[in-house]
Amino acid sequence: MTVRFDGVSFTYPGSAVPALRDLSLTLAAGEVTWLFGKLGAGSSTALLVAGGFAPILTGGERRGSVRVGGLDPGDPATRAALAGRIAYVSAQPHLQLSGLAETVFEEVAFAPANLGWSQARIREAVPQALARIGAGHLAERVPTELSGGELQRVVIAAMLVLAPEVWLLDEPASALDPGARAAAYGLFREEARRGAAVILATEDADGALEAADRIVVLEHGAVAQDGDPAAVLASDACWLLGAGSTTIGELWRAAMDRTPAMARGSVPLTLGAAVQRVTGR
Amino acid sequence: MNVASVRDLHFRYGEREAIAGASFDVAPGEGVALLGPNGAGKTTLLRLLMAFLHPRSGSVEVAGRSTAGLFPEDLAGAVGYLFQRPEDQLFRRTVREDARFGPETLGWDAARADAAVDAALHELGLADVAHLHPYDLPLPKRRLVALAGVLALEPKLLLLDEPTAILDRSARALVVRALRARRERGTAVIAVTHDTGFAAELCDRALALEAGRVAADGPIAGVLGRPGSVPLPAGAELVRRVGATARSLRWDDLVTALASRCRELRE
Repeated sequence: MTVRFDGVSFTYPGSAVPALRDLSLTLAAGEVTWLFGKLGAGSSTALLVAGGFAPILTGGERRGSVRVGGLDPGDPATRAALAGRIAYVSAQPHLQLSGLAETVFEEVAFAPANLGWSQARIREAVPQALARIGAGHLAERVPTELSGGELQRVVIAAMLVLAPEVWLLDEPASALDPGARAAAYGLFREEARRGAAVILATEDADGALEAADRIVVLEHGAVAQDGDPAAVLASDACWLLGAGSTTIGELWRAAMDRTPAMARGSVPLTLGAAVQRVTGR
Repeated sequence: MNVASVRDLHFRYGEREAIAGASFDVAPGEGVALLGPNGAGKTTLLRLLMAFLHPRSGSVEVAGRSTAGLFPEDLAGAVGYLFQRPEDQLFRRTVREDARFGPETLGWDAARADAAVDAALHELGLADVAHLHPYDLPLPKRRLVALAGVLALEPKLLLLDEPTAILDRSARALVVRALRARRERGTAVIAVTHDTGFAAELCDRALALEAGRVAADGPIAGVLGRPGSVPLPAGAELVRRVGATARSLRWDDLVTALASRCRELRE
């Protein structure tokens, strides 16, 4: 399913400043789109609007048109048609626990059971989803007793089990250890290859650059840059927006101020590219 | 005198062993990064230090007191704790009032409380939002508000659970600067983190946990990059791979090392 914003503005209740301003974007199925920007630029709000959570749960005022697979996610009448097709992973994964499951297995089975899946189908799909995010060993654990990183994996598994058509990911790897983080970004890529539209809002430029097909840089709730992640992120225009770069990109720029010759050519963003620029190998 | 002393510490959740024998000391002003994979016991260890949990066996001493029989509030004047989801600890109507809760509850006089709160809000770049409701701020900023409340207590020991998660680069830089300043004034910091760049910026020492055991404890440059364990921060890895030598793993030293290596190679 395609996610489409047409002239969308959104203002939270009590706020004088819109969080999104006249945002127009089409986010394609089969792609990982990375929403990037300074703190407060609007990435998280864009996900909430795309999922229909804003304004239904948040309050506030939305203008313009939002369509997911042609349906308005903010219209309560479309909820049934979109149920199980949009996965949202919040930056606060603990808020997503059902509160009703006694084990991680039951937690991941919660949405499928509510969608009326057969027991046989649930018994097959839940362990597969847990295994894909490296959480198979957690199946019998109590959800409320998990560590932050374990919980984040379980919440991802609880969405993965549904094979959603749209992923809305808000800092989905923030509590993961480095190995699990790389695995999670790999998984989001696989989901896009399967045909899902994956929308990833994160400050983790190192991880997102590996996963994303496209970057959209937001500033004050509007699109400031849109294009190939490596090209946009290496550009001075993006740097001047203040959202930052990869660790290597930032280190290179800082060193460039001391050794101006390093400014020749584009700024390398990855370890491999930087090593090659320095050593020629 | 050490600000924290842990001896042969064991802890279980039911049948599941979470801490399986840990011993270490932390001195005033020391910065210790608590590293390790998800589920290794990092947060559990932090909770044991704050007396949210109590040892099954072994001992924990914090600020000169054994935690046996203590509640977290008994340590509130000496130890500041930032939860992994610190936004849940905000409850007052403005950022400023919220940061003032700790000092007020400890009975500080108004002038001292105001000075400590103003300093903490200023250090974390929150002075211009001090009058706003914390819940009107984006989540990363709410986390900074919670940290301001902890810093305002001017504790001897800071226990921080993932203090840079989801922060952007400028917010992260503010946190580093504020915590370094506290360390210089003698506050010890123990920070659970997966952000190895942040760990290298703030801490001289790292303690790596694996399955509830201390797998490594020493100078951070020796613990980061240890095979099979915690990776070296990307910047340090680049400096190593291009054959440069940095004085430390801190950002400024990495920048200097990379810049001079590039100059050398061009000459």
